Amino acid sequence: MRSIWAVAINTIKQALRIKVAVVFTILLAVLLPVLGITTTGDETLKGRLQTFVSYALSLMSFLLCLLTIIVSIYSVTSDIEQRQIYTVITKPIRRFQFIMGKLLGVIALNVILLVLFSAVIYTITIYMPKFIKASDDELIEANNEFFTARASLTVPEVDVTKEVTDRYTELDRKGELPANVSREEIKSQLTKQAQLAKRAAGVGHVLLWEFNNVKPLAKSLFIRFKYDVSVTPPDSQVWGRWFAGDYQFFKYGTQSKTPIYDEVHKNSVRDFHEIEIPAEVVPEHGHLAVAFMNVSSLNSVAIIFPPDGLEVLYKADSFTSNFIRAVLLVLCRLIFLACLGVLAASFLSFPVAILFCFVIFFTASFSGFVLESFSFLSKDIGAVYSYSIKWLIQLLPQFDKFNPTKFLVPARLISWSLLAKCAVFMVCIKAFLVLIFSLIIFSYREIAKITV
Amino acid sequence: MEYAIETFSLTKIFSDWWGRTKVYAVDNLDLQIRPNEVFGLLGPNGSGKTTTLKMLLGLLHPTKGKALLLGGEGSDPKINCRIGFLPEESYLYRYLNARETLDFYGRLFGLPPKVRKMRIEALLDMVGLKAVANRAVGTFSKGMARRIGLAQALINDPDLLILDEPTTGLDPIGTRQIKDLVLKLAERGKTILLCSHLLADVEDVCDRIAILYGGKIQTQGHVRELLQQTNKRQITTDAISDTAVEKIKQIVHDENAECEVTSPMDKLETFFIRTVTAAQQLAQPTSGAVSTTKLGDFLTQHEAVESILDKLVSAPISKQASGEIPATEKVAAAESASPKADEQLLSKLTSSVAPSESKAVTREEKIKTEPVESQTRRQEQVREDILDKLIGGSKDKTEKPQAGDSGDA
Repeated sequence: MRSIWAVAINTIKQALRIKVAVVFTILLAVLLPVLGITTTGDETLKGRLQTFVSYALSLMSFLLCLLTIIVSIYSVTSDIEQRQIYTVITKPIRRFQFIMGKLLGVIALNVILLVLFSAVIYTITIYMPKFIKASDDELIEANNEFFTARASLTVPEVDVTKEVTDRYTELDRKGELPANVSREEIKSQLTKQAQLAKRAAGVGHVLLWEFNNVKPLAKSLFIRFKYDVSVTPPDSQVWGRWFAGDYQFFKYGTQSKTPIYDEVHKNSVRDFHEIEIPAEVVPEHGHLAVAFMNVSSLNSVAIIFPPDGLEVLYKADSFTSNFIRAVLLVLCRLIFLACLGVLAASFLSFPVAILFCFVIFFTASFSGFVLESFSFLSKDIGAVYSYSIKWLIQLLPQFDKFNPTKFLVPARLISWSLLAKCAVFMVCIKAFLVLIFSLIIFSYREIAKITV
Repeated sequence: MEYAIETFSLTKIFSDWWGRTKVYAVDNLDLQIRPNEVFGLLGPNGSGKTTTLKMLLGLLHPTKGKALLLGGEGSDPKINCRIGFLPEESYLYRYLNARETLDFYGRLFGLPPKVRKMRIEALLDMVGLKAVANRAVGTFSKGMARRIGLAQALINDPDLLILDEPTTGLDPIGTRQIKDLVLKLAERGKTILLCSHLLADVEDVCDRIAILYGGKIQTQGHVRELLQQTNKRQITTDAISDTAVEKIKQIVHDENAECEVTSPMDKLETFFIRTVTAAQQLAQPTSGAVSTTKLGDFLTQHEAVESILDKLVSAPISKQASGEIPATEKVAAAESASPKADEQLLSKLTSSVAPSESKAVTREEKIKTEPVESQTRRQEQVREDILDKLIGGSKDKTEKPQAGDSGDA
């Protein structure tokens, strides 16, 4: 252990003294405050905060990722190429200890820099309202929609299998099935239609959603929604009457102990909007109903909610603890990259290893897209795909799925379970596998160059 | 008897990308080095010396055969604890300073802080870099880096010291110091494997040598046996009168032999050291390495440190060291001292150190059996041309470091 620590300390010294870390540190130290001053967003306080956090966090995460890749690769390859490893590895240190030491050094350096810069970002964010002398309205908006961590409840897609099967049989009986179209395609068409029907509210119709275990911490909760319309009205705006309250009341008409929310709003279509609802409408048992009515006297078009078009948000934790978890998400990513860098360095030279890691890094940043395109492209070679490439691609960490800005900007709760999931998949499984590979390769390779 | 280093038909073949054999870098090498022996591995450039060392230390995997160091594998940490290694160039972390460098290596051995600190200071003193201990190693000249490299190899008080070209880049005083150190360590019961093509260095310190060419041992044996001209005699006297010389000439003439009378020349090395020592005594400023007389201090202080700390820290290294020192010293004391030619100079230089005995003589007596009879028989014909090649090949090398290093001192 002492020898691992000796190598780790040496790695940190190296990163600091060859000035790689220093350059990145200065870059961040200059850019973060500049960002704090220059970002304006949509001129509101909330907009400013969102833009700043989004840019600052992404920038920090990106630069630290680059730093991690460079330092972890350089500290191993330079030892091999400049041959300091001759005198190190002949000391009583096993090869895996050498690699572990390098890794530990890089991770320790990352933790230090991460703590430093997230503290800077946090401070700037917290003091921004005072700095720009925001008005009270803006402050309230920012407190409700930014300085919070809101849990989100979404509506699951309704199961329509039975309806689709019935409809299919009916069409089949009538002989109205289109020719030249496969059974699967007809079924998927029918499913889409049926699901759309469940999300659509014709003029004068009502849609009802139910939510369980709603436990808001603050005074209000929010309905976040997006309208789609069959025909866009002239001013691109539609009316909607919103209800919220005890589910029992809506479904069975039982007497409700809690008040019922009932208001009419006018909003533009195809944009996300939020309406604030007092938390007292939530019944004690947490079984909440939200209903939408397409009022016939105000609208003349059918309103459709897209699949991700409706959710209920409520404050579940503070901004600070959410921010800390966001930083931990970044740390998971850095640990993976450090392991990856060490793996690449264990058998590749510096430039090749850098290239290799960058490819993995950028692919992982768009992992959702990559995964989808692969599964789409490989439809016809299903067996080959699922036994070969699929496993390799599954090894790719999903940086985009665990992207902290995605949560912080709309003030979404990063739950501990999400963080744990990220830690388990990205660090405990993927990074660990990568590390094991690198230890095996490094333990069996020849350290010295061939010189005759 | 257990050998300090033993190889069994050690072979290294370098192949190209397709796996086709390109070069036999080391070819069926059987090497036996006894404990407490100073062994010189000689050979022209590319003869497989360094490759052999790398295989011994586990930096390269042998294609065939195996090598044992102190009875174990060279990659085993337990064995590594007892080995000091100086590679052909001092590969150091350029951004660390001299003290940090030694501290880093000390930590790798898990030396307790107190021992580490004492050894570092003693070693810095010994290699004459105390004054520049806080300067980054990257700014050191080659000779100074070499000194740190040497200090690094000694930080664990190794039982087996493997030195690859230890004197390249060093000024003559540094060279002399390394040679004295090697002798001193041998006296303390250490085994030393020296790889070099600087023949003068090898000749001065080694008990036995092997000459490699094309990855094979061409000849090996005791230095004195290999080099002694049995058909000639040399007489050295104080300044005597011409008439006495005439008398001697007459006697020699009566024996039907030829005789030549000259005044012996100082070696250039001796002259150089004398000049620099004089300058040092006048305390002329230098930014380079300082040649100290503290060679023995490291070793003596070392023992003191260890005897105190033995009780506190039962590190395996110190146990072995304290176990072996008294034994070897007894042997050395019992044997009659027969000073070498350079001995007077050495004792002047390292006044704090007792003159080291010529181990070559004493240890030859201890070790009787010699398994290289067959090679010594054909050595006469082989040696001539190999040595010619050796000298021809290494000429530039021997001149270069001295020229380049004049800036150090």
